[in-house]
Amino acid sequence: MNITRRQVLWAGGAIGTTALLAACSGGDDTSGKPAAAGGKPKKGGTLRIGALGRAGAITRDPHGTQGNESDYLILALIYDTLTVPGTEPNTEPRLAASWEASTDLKTWRFKLAKGATFHDGTPVTAADVVWSLKRLRNTPSGAARLPGIKAENIKSEGDDTVVLVSDYANAELPLLTRLTTFVLKKDTSDKELEKAPGTGPFKLDWYRGGNARLVRNDAWYGGTVHLDAIEVKMFETPQAMSSALLAGQIDVASNVGAVAARTAESRKDIQVVRRPNDMSMPIVMRTKSGPFADERVREALRLVVDRDAMVKQVLSGYGTVANDIMGTGDPNYAKGIPQRTRDLAKAKKLLTEAKFDLSKTYDLVTTEDIPGLAESATLFASQAREAGIKIQVVKQESGAFYEKTWLKGDLYTTYWGTNDSVVFFASKTLVSEAGQNEAGFADKEFDASYRKVIGTADETARGTALRELQQIEYDKSGYLLWGMADGIDLAVAKVQNLPKLPGYGRVQLENVWLS
Amino acid sequence: MSRTVKDDVVAVPARSGAATVPRRTGTLVLRVAAAVARRALMLAVLLAVVFAAVEVLPGDAATATSERGDSAADVAARRHLLGLDRPLWERFWDWMTALPTGDLGTSARGQKVTDLLADPFPNTLLLGSAAFVLTVVASLALGCWAASRPGRPIDRIIGHAATSAFAVPEFVVSVGLLLVLSLWTGWLPAVTLTGADGNPTTWTMLIMPVLALVIPQTGWNTRIVRGALADQASAPHVEAAHLDGLPPHRVVLRHALPGALPAIATGIATSTGMLLGGAVAVETLFNYPGIGSVLAAAVAGRDAPLIAGVVMCAGAAISLVLLAADLVRARMLGART
Repeated sequence: MNITRRQVLWAGGAIGTTALLAACSGGDDTSGKPAAAGGKPKKGGTLRIGALGRAGAITRDPHGTQGNESDYLILALIYDTLTVPGTEPNTEPRLAASWEASTDLKTWRFKLAKGATFHDGTPVTAADVVWSLKRLRNTPSGAARLPGIKAENIKSEGDDTVVLVSDYANAELPLLTRLTTFVLKKDTSDKELEKAPGTGPFKLDWYRGGNARLVRNDAWYGGTVHLDAIEVKMFETPQAMSSALLAGQIDVASNVGAVAARTAESRKDIQVVRRPNDMSMPIVMRTKSGPFADERVREALRLVVDRDAMVKQVLSGYGTVANDIMGTGDPNYAKGIPQRTRDLAKAKKLLTEAKFDLSKTYDLVTTEDIPGLAESATLFASQAREAGIKIQVVKQESGAFYEKTWLKGDLYTTYWGTNDSVVFFASKTLVSEAGQNEAGFADKEFDASYRKVIGTADETARGTALRELQQIEYDKSGYLLWGMADGIDLAVAKVQNLPKLPGYGRVQLENVWLS
Repeated sequence: MSRTVKDDVVAVPARSGAATVPRRTGTLVLRVAAAVARRALMLAVLLAVVFAAVEVLPGDAATATSERGDSAADVAARRHLLGLDRPLWERFWDWMTALPTGDLGTSARGQKVTDLLADPFPNTLLLGSAAFVLTVVASLALGCWAASRPGRPIDRIIGHAATSAFAVPEFVVSVGLLLVLSLWTGWLPAVTLTGADGNPTTWTMLIMPVLALVIPQTGWNTRIVRGALADQASAPHVEAAHLDGLPPHRVVLRHALPGALPAIATGIATSTGMLLGGAVAVETLFNYPGIGSVLAAAVAGRDAPLIAGVVMCAGAAISLVLLAADLVRARMLGART
C-alpha cells in the first residue's frame, strides 16, 4: 500500500476530529468499549501504540507538513491546539477555554485556559499563542490552514486573550483552529524544535527515527491523565502494524484499516474500534463543462449507484451509506432529506431527456492513494453499465493525478477525511470561488445560501439556512457521495476508553486507561 | 538461469586468468586502481540516471510534499526554495561536487540526507552482512556436499531445492516465516521495534528478516558453487586426484575448491545487490528500520537528493564487495602462476 501525505493528512486528517476534553466532559461519552471491571479508570501503565509513518517523511515541526501519522500523533500529545473536535458541538475547548465573536462575526476573541503551563513550568501567555499562530500562518500551507486570517490580524489583548480578525464574516472560525494550531513558546527557534516544551497531556521522554516515548504531564491544566506513559511505534504498513498487534508487541494499532479488522474479527482478545464518518471517497462530476454539466445527467449517475453494494464490497461493510451531502459527521447534517436509492428506470429517463450520448465511453480517473479507492471506481463502472452508461476506469499515479486530473477532470474519484462541518466542505469545495472546487461548481443560489449561513449569528436561523444549503447540494452539486468509511483501530482487551471520533480524533489519548 | 550463471561467471576467470599469467605485482596494483576507478565511474553514471529518472516521474518534490490546500503560488515558492526551477544538470553537479565532503544534500523536507540515513543505513548493513555471511557459509557447505556426490540423489535434491528456493520471492518466504515462527508458535517477535538508541530492542528481531533474505540467496549461491565445482571437476589435476582414489570430499575441498574460488567469489559478490534489493521488501514486512522505508518515502516524495543518497550508500557497499571479489580473483589467479 502506498501512503502519501495526502492520505495521511486528509484521510485522517487535517480535517479529522477528535476525542474530547478530559476537563470538559470527563470522557464518559467516548468510552471505547462498554467499560469492563466497573469502568472506573485505573491509573498507571504504559500504552504501546502503533501509527503509520515512513522514515524519509519524518518531521518534528508542529507547523510543518506532517506526512506521517506517527509524527502527528506525537505532536498532538505534546502540544495543544486552541480547540479540538468533539461530537456535539463539533468544536470543543482546549488551550482556549472559551471564545466569542463580534456581531459581524469577523472578530473572534479566544480566552486561554486558566493555569495552562508549558512543560518547563512557565505559564502560557497570549503572546506565545499569537507567535505560534503567526508562525503557522507564515508556512507555505498557512493560508490553507487559517483561511481568511492574515498574519497581521492575529493579536493579543492582555495576557490571556487572543484576537483573530477574519477578512469576512465566519460563524465557524473556531473550527479552523482545531487541528494544526499547536502552541509553542514564543521565539522557539527551528533548532530548538526537537526539544521544545509543549503544553499537552504528555511530555517527550525520547524521540528517535519516528518512534517516541512520552510520559504523563502531571501539571496538565486539562484534567487527570491516567496513563504513566505512551510509547509510539512507527510502522511503514498496516500489515506490519497488525502483525505486531496480533503478536502482542503493541496494544493499539491506530487507523489500521478494514483488511486488518477482518483478520482480527475472529480473535476474541482483540477489540475492533470503529470510528464512523471517518472518510469519504466521492465521485466528482464536472459541473462547469463536459458531459456531466447537465444537472439531469448528474442526478442520473447518483441514481445509478448501488450504495449498499459499494459499502459492502469496497469498504468490506465497515462503513455506512451516504446521501451526496459532504460533512456527514456534522451535528447539523440534514438527516431529514430522504435517502437517495438506486432507480435505474428514472436514471435512464433523465439521461434520455438530457440527450446524454450513451454510445460513448467515459473515463473515470482514479488513483491507488488509499485502499478501496480504485475498487470503488471499478464497481461503480460496472453498476453504471447496467444503466447503459459505458465507463472505463483509468488509474493514475498519485503525482500525475494531482497535476492533471484533480480540479480539472470530468469524472474522477477523490477522498476527504470528514466529520468536519457541512460549512467546511461548502467553503472548501462548493462555493464558486473555493480554491479546491473539485467539480467546478458555480451556483448563484448556493453561494447566496452559503453567505447567509456564515453571516448568521443566530443559531436557529443559521440551522434553517444550513438545511437549505444542503438541499441545494443534494439536488445540484457535482458530488456523488455513496458512502462513508469507518476509521478502524485495533486494540488489545485491556485498553479502555479509546477515542471514537473520526479522523484525527484518534490522536487524543488523554482519557485512555489500562485495566 | 543456472546455465547463464555458469557461462558468465565461470568463463570469466579462465579468460582473464590467461591474460594475467605473465604479469607481476606492480600491474596488480594498477589493475586494482583501474577497477576502483571503473566502479566509481559506474556509480556516478548510476547516480546521474537516478536524478534523470526522478525528473521523468510525474510531479516533483514541491507538489509531492505540499498539502492539498496549497495554492499554485505556494507550490511555485516551494519549488524555488528546493531549487527545482534550476536545470537538472546543475542540481546534479551541485550534489556530486558536495559528495567528496560527505555531504549528501538536503531532502525535500529540509533535512540533511546524512541525518536521515544515519540510523537506517547501518541497520540495513547489519541485516545485509548477517545475511551475506550466512548465505556464503550455507551455499559453500551445500555446494561442496552436492559436488562430492555428483549425480547421486543428494546432489539432485540439493539442486532442486536450491532452484526452488531461489524461485520463491523474498516476500513469500517472509510471510511464511511470519506465520509459522511468530503468529502460530509465538517463538519470535513478529516485527522489529526499536528503542531509544535506534537499534532493535532484542536481537531475536533480526532472525526472521535475515532468514527471509538468506533462503532465496542461498538457493542462488549454491547453484553458483556447484557450477564452479563442476567446471573444476574436468581440470586435469582434479581428475588425477580422483583417479588416484582420494575420497570425494578430499578431492572437492583440496583440489577443486581452490580453483573454483575466483568464480565463486565473483558469483557470490553479485548477490550483494540482490540482498540489498531484497532487503527493501523484507524490511517493509518486518517493519525493520532500514533504508527500504527511507527509499519508499523518497520515491513517493520525488526526493532526488534522498533517493540518490540511498543509491550512493547501497552502491558503495555493493561496489566494495565487488572490489573484494576482484581482489580474491586476482590473488588466486596470481598465486597459480
